[in-house]
Amino acid sequence: MIDILDGNACAAWGARRAKVQCVPVFPITPTTEIIETIAAWKADGKFPGEFVVLESEHSAASACLGASMTGARTFSATSSQGLLLMHEMLPIISGCRTPMVLTTVSRCLSAPIGLWPDHNDTLAMRDAGWIMLICETNQEVLDSVIMAYRISENPKILLPVIVNMDGFVHSYTRTEVDVPEQKLVDKFLSHPELEVRLDVKKPMTLGIPAMGLDYMRYRQQLHKAMLDSFDVVDNVQKAWAKVTGRKYEFLDEYKTKDAKAVIVMIGANSTIARSAVDKMRKKGKKVGLLRIRLFRPFPEKQLRKALEKIDNIAVIDQNICPGMGGILYPEVKMALSGCKNVVCNYIQGLGGNFVSEDDYVDILNDVLKAKADDRKWQM
Amino acid sequence: MADVDFNIKEEMKKPHLLTGGTFACAGCNPVLGIRLTLIALGRNVIMVNSSGCMTLTATWPFTPYRIPWVHGAIENGGSVAAGILMGLKALKKDKDTHVVVYAGDGATYDIGLQSLSGMIHRREKIIYICYNNCQFANTGHQCTSATEKYARTTTTPPPIGNPLPRKNMAKMMAMGGADYCATACVSFPFDFIRKLRKAAKVEGSVFIDLLSPCEPGWLVKPHETIKSGKLMVESGMWPLYEIEKKKITINHKPEMIPVKEALKIQGRFKHLTEEQIGEIQETVIKEWERITNGRFWEAEEY
Repeated sequence: MIDILDGNACAAWGARRAKVQCVPVFPITPTTEIIETIAAWKADGKFPGEFVVLESEHSAASACLGASMTGARTFSATSSQGLLLMHEMLPIISGCRTPMVLTTVSRCLSAPIGLWPDHNDTLAMRDAGWIMLICETNQEVLDSVIMAYRISENPKILLPVIVNMDGFVHSYTRTEVDVPEQKLVDKFLSHPELEVRLDVKKPMTLGIPAMGLDYMRYRQQLHKAMLDSFDVVDNVQKAWAKVTGRKYEFLDEYKTKDAKAVIVMIGANSTIARSAVDKMRKKGKKVGLLRIRLFRPFPEKQLRKALEKIDNIAVIDQNICPGMGGILYPEVKMALSGCKNVVCNYIQGLGGNFVSEDDYVDILNDVLKAKADDRKWQM
Repeated sequence: MADVDFNIKEEMKKPHLLTGGTFACAGCNPVLGIRLTLIALGRNVIMVNSSGCMTLTATWPFTPYRIPWVHGAIENGGSVAAGILMGLKALKKDKDTHVVVYAGDGATYDIGLQSLSGMIHRREKIIYICYNNCQFANTGHQCTSATEKYARTTTTPPPIGNPLPRKNMAKMMAMGGADYCATACVSFPFDFIRKLRKAAKVEGSVFIDLLSPCEPGWLVKPHETIKSGKLMVESGMWPLYEIEKKKITINHKPEMIPVKEALKIQGRFKHLTEEQIGEIQETVIKEWERITNGRFWEAEEY
C-alpha cells in the first residue's frame, strides 16, 4: 500500500504491522503524533493491543519493562527530555534482557529549550545496552520498527532496540511510503512467542542484585549479546530485502568507492548531504557519503574497511559533547586508529539549525584541502 | 463478610511461598509482611519490588521466592506493576493473577509518589503495599516523609530529630481515587491478612500502608520489634483503619496507652524532652478525635 506519510505515522504503522500488544507512553513534541495515531486506532477498534498513557516517560519506560516481562510485544516512543527521563530505565531494560522497541524522535536538549532536532538526546543513550538504528527516511523508519522486533526477540539476542528518526524533518514531513501488507509482515515476523518471565506457574526472581564478579559476568554477557547481534541484524536486513526489495546495511555508502573525500554522518540531513555529493561529482570532484545506520553495536570493522583508503574524511556531528566535541568523531577516529587519513570534525545543525546543500559543499571543499585533523563549527 | 474459603490455620500448614534464608536482619518486620501477604494471597501473585531493604532478600544466585518477583528501580513500583497488568491483559491472563507492589516508605511517600499516584488514579487492579519502617532503612536509616516528628535518623540527628510531621499517605491515596485503602501493622497479622483478602476482591486500585518496625532503624531489640509495633497501635500513634468509598472504618480500638510507653522502647526517640513527648501525645489525641468524630477528611493543621 503506497501512501504519503510522515515519520511519526511510519513509526505507528511499523508498530501496528508488528502487531504490538502493549504501548505504554507519555506525550512529548515531536513524538506525540505517534501516540495520537495509535490512540485513534485503538478508539476505532483497529488496534487490539493495550494502550496506556502513563504519568511520565520514566513510568512509561518502567511499564515497558513490566509489560515485556509478561511476554507481550511492547512498543513506546519519546524524544529529548523525555528520553533523558527514561534514561535510568534503559540499562535496566537491557540488563534484564528485555526485548522491546523504542522509537526516539530526536529533538535537542534543554537549556535553552528548543523544539527542533539534533542528536544529543539519542546519542546520550549510547552506553545503555540498546541496539540503535538511526534512520534517514520515513520508509526506513517504518521498515526498521518491523525489523527491530525480529532482531530484539531473537532468543540469542534479547536486547531492546532504539529506532531513531529526526524530529520535524522526519516526524512532520510527509513522503511517499510503502506500507507493507499485513500478510507480508506476518510471514516475516512470527507472532510473538516471547519467553514469559513473570509466570505464576514457573516463578522466576528478576532484577536482583549480583555482587562482585557475578555482576561483571552479567555485563560481559550483555556486551557479548550486543556483539552477537551484528549477524542477527545483518540476516534480518537481508531477509527484509528479500521480501520487500528494500536493502539496508550497517553502513549506507554512497559513491565512496573511488572517493578522495567522504562525509561521515547520521540521520535525516544525510539526504541533503547526498545531493551535495552529486553536485560535487558533476564538477568532477571525487567525493562520497557514508551514513552510519547501525550505531550500536558499533560496526567498527566495517567502518574501518569502508574508510581506510579515503584520504580526507569529514565527520559531521549534529550534537555536542561540551568539553569533548562531537560524539561521532572519536568513534570514527577509533575505528581508523593507526590509519593515515585526515579526519576533520564539523559541528552543525544544533537545535535543528537549517543546513543546506551548499553547507555540505563547503565542508567537502574544506576537507579536501585539509592537511591535518581539525575540529570546526559550521554556524 | 465471612471469608469462607480461607482458613488461616490451614494456610499456615502449606509450604511457605517466602522460604527461609533471606538476608533480612534479625527481627525484620518487612520480611514478615511479605510472608503474611503470600499467606493471604497465595500462589497467583506477581510481586513488584521497589529498591529498598526487601530488594536484598534475593541476591544472585539465591532467591527465597516461590512466586514471580521483579525489582525494577526505586521510584516506579506503581508503573512497573501497571506494565505487568497491561501485559497480562494483552495476553488475557489478568483474571486470576494478583499484581502486588511491595515497596518501602521512602519509595512510596517520597521518590515513588508519582508512579503510585498514577497507578491509583488510573484505578489499575493492583495491590500496593507500603512496608513502612518510617525511614530509608536500606541506605542506613535516613529520614523520609514517613518518619515521625522528632524521630532520630542519620539525616535528622538529635537534639532536634525530624522537625516535620509525617504525611498521611492512606488519606492522600483515598482522596486520589484508591478503591480500597487501609493502614495495617505487622504486629496485627490477622487484621492485615483480612485486609489483603478483601483487597484481592477489589476491582480497582488498593493501597495498604503497613507499619513494619525495623530493628536497626528503630533501635529496638530484635525480639521487641513486634512489641514496638503493638505499642505504636495501642498508643494511637498508628491507628488501624480502612477506607472504602470515602467511608472510614476503625478496625481496632486502641487502648490509648500513653505515647511515652510506645516511644520508650525505641532508641530513636531516646533524646526526646518531656515537652516533645507531650506534643506528640497531644497530636495523637487530636488525630484520634478527628478520625472517630467524622472529621477525618478535614484539612490537617500543621
